[in-house]
Amino acid sequence: MKTFSLVLPLLLFAPAASFAADREFRDVVEAISDAFHTKPLHIPLMGLVNAVTYFARPAGTKHLDIAVFENLEARGRRDSDIASSIRAAVGGSWKPFLQVKTMRDDTEEHVLVYMRQHGREWKLLITTVERRHATVIQVALNAAALERWLVDPIAAVRHRMRDIDD
Amino acid sequence: MKFALIIFAAAGSLAAQEFRIPSSFDKFATRAKEMVDVNLDGSLLQLAARFLSDSDADEAQVKKLVSGLKGIFVKSYEFENRGEYTEADLESLRSQLKGPGWSRIVGVRSQRSGENSDVYLRSDGNALGGLVVITSEPRRLTVVNINGSINPDDIRRLGGHFGIPKLDGTGNSKKNRED
Repeated sequence: MKTFSLVLPLLLFAPAASFAADREFRDVVEAISDAFHTKPLHIPLMGLVNAVTYFARPAGTKHLDIAVFENLEARGRRDSDIASSIRAAVGGSWKPFLQVKTMRDDTEEHVLVYMRQHGREWKLLITTVERRHATVIQVALNAAALERWLVDPIAAVRHRMRDIDD
Repeated sequence: MKFALIIFAAAGSLAAQEFRIPSSFDKFATRAKEMVDVNLDGSLLQLAARFLSDSDADEAQVKKLVSGLKGIFVKSYEFENRGEYTEADLESLRSQLKGPGWSRIVGVRSQRSGENSDVYLRSDGNALGGLVVITSEPRRLTVVNINGSINPDDIRRLGGHFGIPKLDGTGNSKKNRED
């Protein structure tokens, strides 16, 4: 029991500690928080999710950081500024890979995807801002998991937007 | 020393032939109602090529094409209104393509639809060094910059991959044709 009580916190927090979100992830979250005057939702047991992700590696994912913002339509969004705020927050240390802007119901929606190589893995920083919600995801992927993004990036964005809608 | 100067000068002239979408185009990101901006540099492109199948005939051809490429850059804008971009904006692209090594191989002008397409090819000696497609319509502007060795006939095969719109032999996008 004593061993279990020692191991459990390690399982929950060790992967998060060794692959903590990059500064740019936090800066993008802060940029969205500032733009919409709100905070991301608290996601319970994120440490557990990362422990599972670290060992099971679903779809080539090794680590996941996620921030979700909801009810943005009620918070007076600043369409014209948000994409440039995100670009400024990411800075130059990530490769800008893909940016898509679309209009839906007279509201701008943005997807910005950045990449960075980390040893044999690739990190993706994916930000989506829609009328009602926004998500910021930093994910560490093995090379095979990058296939969808690299070979047909537009389809990957559409797939991603559908996931959010669902 | 003289040799080093010649090499330096040659490298400079090659660098001058590189096509870049001007930073002034950033303004269209806020003006456009739809925008796609894809940046696949050499390392990402070669990584992507690894995932294309050798057994699928279409993918195998694309994989072979990609092996000679150093980068694919696509910017596509769709505007709500006409006149969001000017002839001067287009000239900022075309002026780069008048330099040594570049030649316009296709130019299509449509009075009816207002759609104009130009395909430019860059040759580095005997080898093909890159290809640029500029398609402009009253409410749409697309620039595809493929850096590396590519045959103009092969651009159709790359359409639909790596964020490149599906194009016909003249550089016109199929989506536009369907409209």
